[in-house]
Amino acid sequence: MTTELKILLIDDEIDFVETTGKRLIRRGYLAKTALTCAAGLEIIASGWPEVVVLDVMLPDRDGMDCLREIKEKWPTLPVILLTGHASMETGLHGLECGASDYCLKPIDLETLVEKIAIAHRESRAPGPLSS
Amino acid sequence: MTFLLDRLTSFFHGKPRLTPAELQAAFRGHYKEFRALLTANNNALELMAEMEQALGPGHPFGMTFVRGNCTALSVNIYKMIHHLTRLADGRYAELDQPFRAITKQLEHIIASRPASAEGAIILAMAEVDASMVDQVGEKMANLGEVKNRVGLRTPDGFVITATAARRFIEANNLQVEINRRLKGLDLDNLEELYTVSAGIQGLISNAPLPAELEEAILAHHHQLDTDPQAELLVALRSSALGEDSSNVSFAGQYRTQLNVSREFVGQAYKEIVAGKYKSQAIVYQQQRGYRNQDVQMCVGCLRMVDGAVSGVMYSRAPDDPRSPFVIIQAAPGLASTVVDGSGASDLFRVSRSAPHPILHRNMPPKSADSRLTLTDAQAAELAAMGVRLEEHFGTPQDIEWSIDQSGLLYILQSRPLGSPAPGEVQETSESSATADDLPSPLLAGGVCASQGVGYGSVFTVRSSLDLLRFPKGAVLVIETPYPDWASLLNRAVAVVSETGQQAAHLATVAREFGIPAIFGMNQALATLENGSLVTVDATAGKVYAGRVEPLLALAAPKPNLMAGSPVYKILTQALVHITPLNLTDPTSPFFRPEACQTLHDLTRFCHEKAVVEMFTFGERYGFNDKAAKQLVVENSPAQWWVIDLDDGFTPDFDPESRYIHLGHITSVPMQAIWQGMTAFPWAGPPPVSLGGFGSIIFQSTRNPNLDPAVRSAMAAKNYFLISKNFCNLSVRLGYHFALVEANLGEFLTENYVSFQFKGGAADQDRRLLRIRLISEILGEFGFRVEQKVDAMTARIEKKPGTYLLERLRILGYLLIHTRQIDMVMADQGMAASYQQKIMTDLHTLLDRPPEG
Repeated sequence: MTTELKILLIDDEIDFVETTGKRLIRRGYLAKTALTCAAGLEIIASGWPEVVVLDVMLPDRDGMDCLREIKEKWPTLPVILLTGHASMETGLHGLECGASDYCLKPIDLETLVEKIAIAHRESRAPGPLSS
Repeated sequence: MTFLLDRLTSFFHGKPRLTPAELQAAFRGHYKEFRALLTANNNALELMAEMEQALGPGHPFGMTFVRGNCTALSVNIYKMIHHLTRLADGRYAELDQPFRAITKQLEHIIASRPASAEGAIILAMAEVDASMVDQVGEKMANLGEVKNRVGLRTPDGFVITATAARRFIEANNLQVEINRRLKGLDLDNLEELYTVSAGIQGLISNAPLPAELEEAILAHHHQLDTDPQAELLVALRSSALGEDSSNVSFAGQYRTQLNVSREFVGQAYKEIVAGKYKSQAIVYQQQRGYRNQDVQMCVGCLRMVDGAVSGVMYSRAPDDPRSPFVIIQAAPGLASTVVDGSGASDLFRVSRSAPHPILHRNMPPKSADSRLTLTDAQAAELAAMGVRLEEHFGTPQDIEWSIDQSGLLYILQSRPLGSPAPGEVQETSESSATADDLPSPLLAGGVCASQGVGYGSVFTVRSSLDLLRFPKGAVLVIETPYPDWASLLNRAVAVVSETGQQAAHLATVAREFGIPAIFGMNQALATLENGSLVTVDATAGKVYAGRVEPLLALAAPKPNLMAGSPVYKILTQALVHITPLNLTDPTSPFFRPEACQTLHDLTRFCHEKAVVEMFTFGERYGFNDKAAKQLVVENSPAQWWVIDLDDGFTPDFDPESRYIHLGHITSVPMQAIWQGMTAFPWAGPPPVSLGGFGSIIFQSTRNPNLDPAVRSAMAAKNYFLISKNFCNLSVRLGYHFALVEANLGEFLTENYVSFQFKGGAADQDRRLLRIRLISEILGEFGFRVEQKVDAMTARIEKKPGTYLLERLRILGYLLIHTRQIDMVMADQGMAASYQQKIMTDLHTLLDRPPEG
């Protein structure tokens, strides 16, 4: 199991984000949390995170918009979308914008951890030739 | 089926020439896409199986389930298409069109959700049924079923919905404060936990109700108040939404408040909503990864029943789902004294069969002088209701009831009966007494393939001609459970077969239809005369002459709790666009993107093409047949070729070599398959000339149309596509085709074993028999098996590596030994003894420590 992976959680649900962050740390990951897109972007700009878990609904900005900005500036940084309200349209749109995965809350930690680790691994492997 | 071998055409098409390093990089890149596609495929197939299972018996589901699964499914299929397109250097983009068309239809179906419930803050009990579980919680949804669909008397009342609870919290902007207090809470510090829990509960209990909600509650309360003589008292019952209802201990944590008068209804409601933050509940929710809004407290507000006698009833003994009696506990007054165990109660065992006599009565000594709690008639009425509720919900029930002063019986709650707590085993003398009363059976010793009891006249089916004459309501008696007989199951009341096992396809279908079935019943054809009337007790594996009433009274109910409800209909409609598989044959001209009609078709197409892309990578990039290495196997005229996708060969292997030894292969799944293939020499009967492993392979792979010595005869080659964790093996043995594919990744999400098998040169009957045999064996080892005529697929996903490696060794064994099964299939006795030998071999194989 990969440890020391740096995970950024961007989500305005304090209870969720705090608990999840704490539990990730207990499992040997490094986790930071941001309650807004702006705060999240700041942490990303510092070059810290290796994987981002992003809520689709944020107070300061549309989550999809936030995703677009992240992928525009840091195209190789994997972003997993996490939402409490399932929507096929948003899910597919998110993937089109470059999200690695789209998951629904509630999600058990085991599953989330696997998705994070897989997204990270895929982001490090080289892609096929762009020919 | 994937028959890559058939598609290997000529090499050396003009393609960009790359340096070896570039090639290696390109190959790795493709493999990464391939692996991601396999994981998405794994997720998609699991989601589809989950949605199909939801249509069977079990817990009610709501739109959240349907919407969530459809979304997750379409996301995974989108990923598959995306990875395939990248894998194929931009080709297959046209898959987007059928994908968009299907998802558009799904969105349309989901959008047509029942409008009634969503958004309502209060629902009258008269409107509630199982399909509204998202709004009223499981407890009230079940009570609504009891009232509106079973038609039993329940207390009048209404449900204050999940929407109401949400609005209450929102109106006071409480969530921010609640979250603040929960923040940083250490669940292991009990003192802190209790303090925070009490604080949050106080916060909620003291917040004012939104005026709109309070008015609505009081207005509905007023409607209940029909008796000017007496003050209306209500019970407020929590019906939590979103918790795992199988966790009964947790469900019991939430409160119920009895005898609430009008002025306290609002307060009692708030206290129940606050119960969401009881300390145990906080711990449980956080451990399960539930957020606040995932658990909503719906509250039932029901008129108090002025109980003269109340209690609980189990529709079966908790330790015996076959018990012929219900168990009733009764005490004077309200049901709560029985439920919480605070008062002494009388215990009755009452027959489940009309006229429901009391079989046994047990009263605590101190109540011996007081009046009887239940009359014979009341006990009988209760027992009859217990039986009806069990029939409706499809599983034994734990029922709370109350009889009011005027003698009217009310059901207060009905929920699935949990399994017995340890040390709580009850004696079953009554049930064995019943068994003594039964006549001696005509036949005994069969295997229960589908539980239940059926009664009807015997009709033996031996051919398809008999099939057409099969009368409705007859007992189907057969020698072998062919899948073809499945078409009779909607007409049959029971099935008796001389051979077969629980995992047979026909058994699966029988269970789906709820038709009792006994397999492996020796002498069934000789003993059961056509036209004679029999009672089939499938649960006990016995057949009786004539009608055996006590057994028929035990007949298992048919579970279709939600069938017909709007949510059930929506799921059914959605599944039309999801699960049917139309693209079954990759060699067909219709195996094309535009022919994909369902999400299952898309997964099938993407997976198939992805494997082909990986296989033909060398061809497309102008690197050559050197990619495939021939496995060095002694004494094997068959050719086993291996293609490395990533890290399947040891680093010291010379890439220029045309041959490879097993020792250079690092692929864990391939090694496991190979172990299974070679673990046992092929041995008789039937006595056929043999020369060990090699000769089987020789016989199996020999194709009379092609000379195996000719190099271009690709059909004689069997290919392993491997990496360290992955293996895709396509085999043509004789006339049948098999494909084994497995991935054992770092994460359970990626793990699976799948097996596809088709065809064979033998006549149709033997072919079916063989496939059935393989299906049964794989079923016993935990595979999910699907069979369509003479093709089958078997799959297991998301299990640990060691478990999957065992399954791969089993598949390896079966690949080799199916040939022999084919030969003996004509003889029933031999087939049975072979099946036994195979099972013995397989268990030996699994007990043996893996080599290497």
